[in-house]
Amino acid sequence: MNKSIIKTENLEKIYGKSKVKTHALKGVNMEIPQGSFSCIIGTSGHGKSTLMHLIGGLDKPTAGKVFIDDVNISDLSDNKLSCLRAKKIGFVFQFFNLLQNLTALENIQTAMMFGRGSPRRQSGFAHERQRALELLELVGLSDKANAKPNEMSGGQQQRVSIARALANDPDILLMDEPTGNLDSKSEKEVLEHIFKIHKTGKTVVIVTHNKELAAQAEMVFEIKDGTLSIT
Amino acid sequence: MNTIKLVCRNLFRRKGRFVFTLLGISIGMASFVALLSLGGSMRGEVTRQAQAMGANFMIMPEDICVFNLIAIVTGETISESLPHEIFERIEVLDGITVIPHLTQKAAVKDVPSVIVGILPEETRSFREWEMEEGEYFAYQDENAVVIGSDFAERRGLNVGDEVTIRNEQFTVKGMLAPNHSNDDMTVFLPLSVAQRLFEKEGVISYMSAKVDDMAKMEQYEAAIVAVANVQVATDEQLLGSVLAILGSVNITLQLVAAVALIAAAFGIINTMMTAVYERRREIGILRAIGGKRRDVFRVFMLESGLYGLFGGIAGVIIGLSAAVFAGEFISQIGANDLLKGASPQAGVDVSVIVTAVLFSLTVSIGAGLYPAWKAAKLTPVEAISYE
Repeated sequence: MNKSIIKTENLEKIYGKSKVKTHALKGVNMEIPQGSFSCIIGTSGHGKSTLMHLIGGLDKPTAGKVFIDDVNISDLSDNKLSCLRAKKIGFVFQFFNLLQNLTALENIQTAMMFGRGSPRRQSGFAHERQRALELLELVGLSDKANAKPNEMSGGQQQRVSIARALANDPDILLMDEPTGNLDSKSEKEVLEHIFKIHKTGKTVVIVTHNKELAAQAEMVFEIKDGTLSIT
Repeated sequence: MNTIKLVCRNLFRRKGRFVFTLLGISIGMASFVALLSLGGSMRGEVTRQAQAMGANFMIMPEDICVFNLIAIVTGETISESLPHEIFERIEVLDGITVIPHLTQKAAVKDVPSVIVGILPEETRSFREWEMEEGEYFAYQDENAVVIGSDFAERRGLNVGDEVTIRNEQFTVKGMLAPNHSNDDMTVFLPLSVAQRLFEKEGVISYMSAKVDDMAKMEQYEAAIVAVANVQVATDEQLLGSVLAILGSVNITLQLVAAVALIAAAFGIINTMMTAVYERRREIGILRAIGGKRRDVFRVFMLESGLYGLFGGIAGVIIGLSAAVFAGEFISQIGANDLLKGASPQAGVDVSVIVTAVLFSLTVSIGAGLYPAWKAAKLTPVEAISYE
């Protein structure tokens, strides 16, 4: 088995500072090997997205540690977390989260703007544009480079979102219900692209309700009332 | 992609809001620029008028009010007056050359105009006038007028035309060569004729004087005060007093404009705060894909700064146009050339433009600080989870 690229130790997350507190994660320990395809499943409100936010460095745990490539990111400053997200992690969200006033190409280029200095890719506007076009081609949307999100279908928007996640050639792709808002045809297309990208060596972690998708994963974690179990 | 491109896309996304916010700061800046420009023009014009008088000092009624000081410098009529015999007493003093003026206002071709009674020969040599057209007065009591070149042009008058002043007909005998002072907009009559026409027999408004030796100014002043109950002011003192008054007026006007600008700044704060709330999810996206707090801060500050830059430029254009229009308008309705300097011929004051744009930028950047800080303070999760 490859070494762990994502690891958590006794991860706790409690929301709320007043008397009413929500214990979203209770001592979560997990290890995800580099290059694996994992799914986190569980019913709504049981902590799936919270776990993804913590391992993606979007939020900080109340207690416990998150390691990415053996670096404890729980202690990193806000700036260093931003750098980590820009260069090591690509996010794909259920509602695509594209910038509505930018074209597909510009959405990808915006992510590249924050990842400049990454040793994985060349900087410079011409290189960035070329790479953004290649990524669009990878997800089969070369003809939509200049289309804005409102000119594309849900499936197409999600594919742009995947291309954006790959903008800085990250090691890890974190996806929160990537097909949750798509019809079955678009879902199939998007999943095909996700599998294709995984085969290039990326570590893919998907938060999903979709049992069929989970069945194809190498590792499946189930989260229930903030507690994690491996199925 | 770069930050400026991203900011411009955001700025022009909601065109209506962009235009109205821009209008707010443009109008604020326009009023500021217009008043600044008019104020600067007034200062310039007053200085120019004072220099064109060609006098070392002025002799005025003792209790002259500040408005009349401005009137003397700008060639307007003054309410106080002096007995003519005072002129005769000062005229005989050694080392002093003095000329009297009787300034009045009357309708010429249905427009209020400044009429000045003078001693023809003495005034011509004192002011070093030259003729543009026609001839100068031939003798002291001649029933004719000599007019300034701008006056002739604006009223459509030529040498030989007849004009009616207070129901009496006069022939335009000559036109003075322009000397870029208030003389260009004035109608001159021999003093005795003016005194009769305006029923001011034995009265003059003020006197201009030159001295043979400037080093003896104090002696001359003492000599004048000894023979007449008058106030003496050198042209520098007079100019200083008038400019001080104008300075106070300018500051007051600029404070009024600053209030308009502050209101516009709150408009920017409002727009930017609305943008922060509306675009929380977008802020979350930028943070999720690697944007730092300072990147978000920069985006919102740049947006705010661009409002200031565009608003400042638009404000300068509108303000200078308004100053030119206002200067011409005031000049025409009041026959008052004080604001003539605001006309396009006077040129555009670059320092006003630079000051205005920098001020607009500063105000808008100041206005953008709080919204930008609010935006940067959002955590990626709270921003991206915003529905």
